[in-house]
Amino acid sequence: MSIAVDAKDLVKQFGNIRALDGLTFQISQGEIYGLIGPNGAGKTTTLRIISTLILPTSGTIRIFNQDPVTQAAQVRKIISYLPEEAGAYPNLTGNEYLTFMAKFNTNNTEELKQMTEEAAKICGLGERLKDKAKTYSKGMKRRLLVARALMTQPKLAVLDEPASGLDVLHAYHVRQIIKNYVKQHGVTVLLSSHNMLEVEYLCDRVALINKGKIIVEGKPDSLKTQYKSANLEEVFAKVVGYA
Amino acid sequence: MLKGFNTILVKELKELIRDPKILIGMLVLPLVIFPVLGAVLGYASQTAIEQAQKATLLVVDNDQGNWSTTFINYLKSTGVKTTVINNTSPQQVVAQELLTKNNSTRFIEIPAGFSQNMTAHTNGNPAITATINVYGAFQGTSIFSDIGSTATNSIINSYNRVIAPDVLYTTQSTIIKGQIQKGIDPATLSGLMITQSIALPITIMIMLTYSMQIAATSVAMEKEEKTLETLLTVPVDRFAILMGKLSSTIIVAGIASVAVMIGYNYVLGSMTMGIPTATSINLVNLGLVPSAFGYFLLGISLFITLLSGLALAVIMSAFAEDVRGATALVGYIYPIIFIPAMALMYLDVNSLPMAVQAVFYAIPYSHPIIASKAVVLGDYLTVVLGIVYVAVFTIVIMYVASRLFATEKILTAKLRFKRRGIGKRQEQEE
Repeated sequence: MSIAVDAKDLVKQFGNIRALDGLTFQISQGEIYGLIGPNGAGKTTTLRIISTLILPTSGTIRIFNQDPVTQAAQVRKIISYLPEEAGAYPNLTGNEYLTFMAKFNTNNTEELKQMTEEAAKICGLGERLKDKAKTYSKGMKRRLLVARALMTQPKLAVLDEPASGLDVLHAYHVRQIIKNYVKQHGVTVLLSSHNMLEVEYLCDRVALINKGKIIVEGKPDSLKTQYKSANLEEVFAKVVGYA
Repeated sequence: MLKGFNTILVKELKELIRDPKILIGMLVLPLVIFPVLGAVLGYASQTAIEQAQKATLLVVDNDQGNWSTTFINYLKSTGVKTTVINNTSPQQVVAQELLTKNNSTRFIEIPAGFSQNMTAHTNGNPAITATINVYGAFQGTSIFSDIGSTATNSIINSYNRVIAPDVLYTTQSTIIKGQIQKGIDPATLSGLMITQSIALPITIMIMLTYSMQIAATSVAMEKEEKTLETLLTVPVDRFAILMGKLSSTIIVAGIASVAVMIGYNYVLGSMTMGIPTATSINLVNLGLVPSAFGYFLLGISLFITLLSGLALAVIMSAFAEDVRGATALVGYIYPIIFIPAMALMYLDVNSLPMAVQAVFYAIPYSHPIIASKAVVLGDYLTVVLGIVYVAVFTIVIMYVASRLFATEKILTAKLRFKRRGIGKRQEQEE
């Protein structure tokens, strides 16, 4: 299986703050890989570097063998990024938003139609897609955005807290979307989350990250066994010496 | 008192006062703009008075009689620097550019028969009066441009009072673009031109501030609505994002420029039409309205200035986290829009001291206002040079904006206003 993401010794310095401190990990193609950690651990910084938004201070990274630092334009063609607090344009309808975003990936009318239809299927918003995004609830907006991120069938989907702040049903829907769609289309996913249950449910492998470093990595079940814990939350607490 | 009113009021005041961007914005207008404007006006007034005192008054003596000599001596006795030439028609003075050669902006013609008329009047024939013809070169629209003219008129009036009341009459003429316009008082013309020239600076101020707010909020809105991060990761050139944002505001600004030109043309038209015929100064007949080419250049000047303002607003907004922050940041640009606009309503840039001129020419937002006055006088070179200058400034600004969009600074750039106490507290919290 080929390597989708290969990060080595990533460091990111914001002034005096060292957000990443030698982060190293690999993600295989088709894998769902989760980054777990407390606030300020460096999860979002990692996702932003991979998504070509910010540059690492040092270290190397390859996305399907392409460098997001020097080949940002190429990397943007094969990835799709969903920021944690992403929004949609309030005065565009759901359909208009999806079409607007799809147009960056294709000029072909047929492909455009396929993408937006696929997105409509993924988000399940039905007739509400004809309404302006400002009329959507938080859950509806998130479903729209997840659909936007996946409709282009990216080689790598980078999802930052995909179900954060959603009620149980919306969160369940979003997780189902990711799980089913990704496996169906062979998309590689890198996601971050505070929700250990979500990570356990979705991810093939997880990395526990703290103070800009990966402190432990493995399959959820293996980690639970290794640390004799009932869930990943407990694993994390033990690893950082909290329990 | 409403329950909870005080609590809300105190909280709101704290929020406003503790936001340095808003606080500075509130203080900028009264504490910066008006003192600077007052200093510019004072400086301009002082310079105009000094220039008037130094200026030479050209006297064309076509009479060469006793009374003309008396009159010239009286002028000299008041301390006015006087140069006398004989037997020259007003047309020859203009054609031979004698005003420029004598470093003067006005001349007095003592016509032939002046002494004869004065003698007849003083010998007891009150029906006969003498006339002195005053000619002033039109120098643009400045409230201080007629200081010299006023001084000349007051000397003539005082001479009149010394000899006998109502013995001396003056006619006023203005030299416009090398043509003598009889019966047009330079001071009245200057006043009319100032009245009509106020319209454009006000409109430019409104248009610039309004469109800059739109441009600034277009980026800030992306940040506030959390759509910018997504947009920056899609396969599209960052420069295309910047240009797309600018172009939409440029289209709006372009429409606004055309609207301003139409409105400005209407203002000029109404100035000429609304005045009764007997006292009218027809600016169209005097050639003191822009030609079609002048309007074209003025439109370009306005458009390119708007473009530069919009690009600057986009850059400023990149340092804001939300719409409120962006509008506050853009507010810092307002003094350099308002000060030249308000000053140039009443002053002609060429009448200002060199140092102030240099400052005004350096501010891109002065140029449409300078252009609006220059096109009236047919001074297209000034307008074209202004357009070139603002275009270069705009290219530099757009380059900076494109660099900003190409890097992570578009997401991470923030203006910091650290006061000692706050700075220390923030560091401790981190």
